[in-house]
Amino acid sequence: MKYIKQVLGGDLRQYTMVVALGLLILIFNVISDGRMLTSSNFQNLLSGNAYVLVLALGMLMVIVIGQIDLSVGSVAGFAGMVMALVAKNYNVPWWVAVLIALAIGILAGAWHGFFLSQLGIPGFITTLGGMMIFRGGVIWISRSISVPAPEELKWFGAGYLPEWGPSFTGMNNSTLVLGLIGIVCFAVGQIRKYNRSKNSPVGETPLWAVVTRIALMTVLIGYFTYLFGSGRVGTSFPVPGLILLLLTIIYHIITQRTKFGRHVYAVGGNKAAAALSGVNVKRTYFLTMMNMSFLAAVAGILFVGRSTAAGPADGTSWEMDAIASVFIGGAAVSGGVGTILATIVGGMVMAVLNNGLMLMGVGADKTQVIKGFVLLAAVAFDVYNKKNGKSSIIGRIFSK
Amino acid sequence: MKKRTLLSMAMVATMAFATFTGCGGSREGAATTDTAAETTEEAATTETTAEESFPGFEDGATIGVSLPWLGTQNWKEAEEMFTAQLEEAGYKPIVQAADQKVTQQQQQIESMIENGAKVIVVGPVDGSQLGAVLEQAKEAGVYVIGYDRLLENTSGVDGVVQFGSVKTGELQAQALLQGLEEKKGEPPYNIELFGGGPADPNAPNFFTGAMSVLQPKIDDGTLVVVSGQTDFTQCATVDWDNAKAQSRMDSLLAGNYSDKEIDGVLSPNDGIARAIITSCENAGQEIPVVSGLDAENESVEWVWSGRQYSTVAKPTNDLVAKTIEIIDSLKAGNGMPATDVEVDNGVKNVRIYELPPVVVTKDNAKEVFANDPSRLELLK
Repeated sequence: MKYIKQVLGGDLRQYTMVVALGLLILIFNVISDGRMLTSSNFQNLLSGNAYVLVLALGMLMVIVIGQIDLSVGSVAGFAGMVMALVAKNYNVPWWVAVLIALAIGILAGAWHGFFLSQLGIPGFITTLGGMMIFRGGVIWISRSISVPAPEELKWFGAGYLPEWGPSFTGMNNSTLVLGLIGIVCFAVGQIRKYNRSKNSPVGETPLWAVVTRIALMTVLIGYFTYLFGSGRVGTSFPVPGLILLLLTIIYHIITQRTKFGRHVYAVGGNKAAAALSGVNVKRTYFLTMMNMSFLAAVAGILFVGRSTAAGPADGTSWEMDAIASVFIGGAAVSGGVGTILATIVGGMVMAVLNNGLMLMGVGADKTQVIKGFVLLAAVAFDVYNKKNGKSSIIGRIFSK
Repeated sequence: MKKRTLLSMAMVATMAFATFTGCGGSREGAATTDTAAETTEEAATTETTAEESFPGFEDGATIGVSLPWLGTQNWKEAEEMFTAQLEEAGYKPIVQAADQKVTQQQQQIESMIENGAKVIVVGPVDGSQLGAVLEQAKEAGVYVIGYDRLLENTSGVDGVVQFGSVKTGELQAQALLQGLEEKKGEPPYNIELFGGGPADPNAPNFFTGAMSVLQPKIDDGTLVVVSGQTDFTQCATVDWDNAKAQSRMDSLLAGNYSDKEIDGVLSPNDGIARAIITSCENAGQEIPVVSGLDAENESVEWVWSGRQYSTVAKPTNDLVAKTIEIIDSLKAGNGMPATDVEVDNGVKNVRIYELPPVVVTKDNAKEVFANDPSRLELLK
């Protein structure tokens, strides 16, 4: 027991949700006769859920500051529709259309941020308004008709990395390189941490624990590299997955390592105390809301790319999926608690549930019921543990 | 608790490790690429010559059916009929509905590919938003048949089974004219126009078909569209939502008919027809002549009692039977059956298998439903 603790570097209970995710995957894999853990299914899983997870990244920060954003689905739909329309009607290159969509996201976010930070209107109301404004806007500008998107965008929403180099590796070499980078980064990070722990007052982490940790992670990343890389020729780790991965790393760093990130947690934890200690609360509110809508535009672009067309109903109720992911990932309803990585795990739990139940042929009605119970159970479990004086189980996964 | 967590963690680790080490690298690099290239070439020639050998499949093959939702009677019927008739024909059906969500449908189709389906029948939520997923099905060697609605903007579709949608619109308009002459005396007649959900590629076709009959009559003054709204986007009903149609009718009546009588309304389906009739009743108008579509039970009753003038039956049974006939042909290795009609879906010409719809009024209801005991039951 003690050894395992040392390997994982902390309280075992932190890993409940990760273990649940792993078990879920394995159970579905057994029930579906091995159709869960296949290259194509995991590629689909990532391509098909990247947009929700991208939204969840922004939503985590919004929830941490103690607000909520209901407009993300509508903003995503609106940005995607503007992009498709601009590309179709004004004959501009696809990347110009993408930049316009991102700009729309930023403007929409600034709009929400302005009302929240300057006028002090609660985020719930501001974004409820935004939800209606942008949903109406989508229908208005599209005249309720789907608009085909530029062909190039498909790469963002459903594309794969290039094939190159020798074929003796037996996989897509882009994916292989990606996996190797992942392993090296993890190992380097662990070794640096180990070196630092030599001088720490808590005491040195045993070397064997560090080595085991690296070995376990190598196996895990190696397995997924193999899974993603060994699919049909021409497929690889999917592009939307890569975009999600990059955004996850960026936002993990922003929330954990930067001043702005610390301000986000400070404002969410105790607004008054944060203001007294010199945190610019208004600015934090504004930037968080702006960032959310920016990510909503990214999600909209990914989705349009995958669908090959922007439709008038795009984005309907996406906010709910994003919010569910954040809470399953252990964020606190009252704000101040929650991490990016735990949110991704929470989102993956939802995605895997969805995917596994579909593979089993369970209908949409029952899937919905099951997802509802899972959300409730995860949050109840979290709250129960907090009440009993234990630290938030899920919420602090990986933090520090 | 702790022990169990520990145990499961160990399990995860060992299983992950076992799976990882257990699989030898098996990407047949260059060789596979060659075959892939060949298949693409083959696919290219298929499109040009149209006559090609199609690989069949064995008995008991998995057939996926992805429907948009189960919220109207025709889709619920389709779900039940596909399940029963595919099983009867010796296939293994996976029939799922997407709850009107494009994302859900995309994922369902992917999981059908994953489940090894040989044919996937798709009644799309939005016919133009399945491009990437259907191309994935095509690459996996799955046949894709569009059901009831055209699949646009993708090369991954082999054919579409549907009722002639322009024809349906023509029939609706003819029934409306016939009803007006029968019930509302001498022209001119005051009418209003309703269209279906714009995301459904059939909806503009219904409207176009109907307008091809109505426009000449509007031009010669027989028909008067009092609100002046004759453009499809003005008349469309988002998502085929009855509530939206009812509120549009409410405002049309309030805005234009305070001193006039409404004589007829072109309605694209039965749900919207009933919403329109309800709205007219609430506004104190005499019930106008209203067209419909789908022969839903409630509307069949209304047609029988004279509240709704007509509906158009698109017997789901015929559509399902035709689809299964195509699946049988694919199974035998004969490919898609020949057809006269082809439609450009934006990327390629798609074979369309059109079935004729049937107008139902009180006069012919008993004949039309002679072989449909459940609906015949309603005509009493």
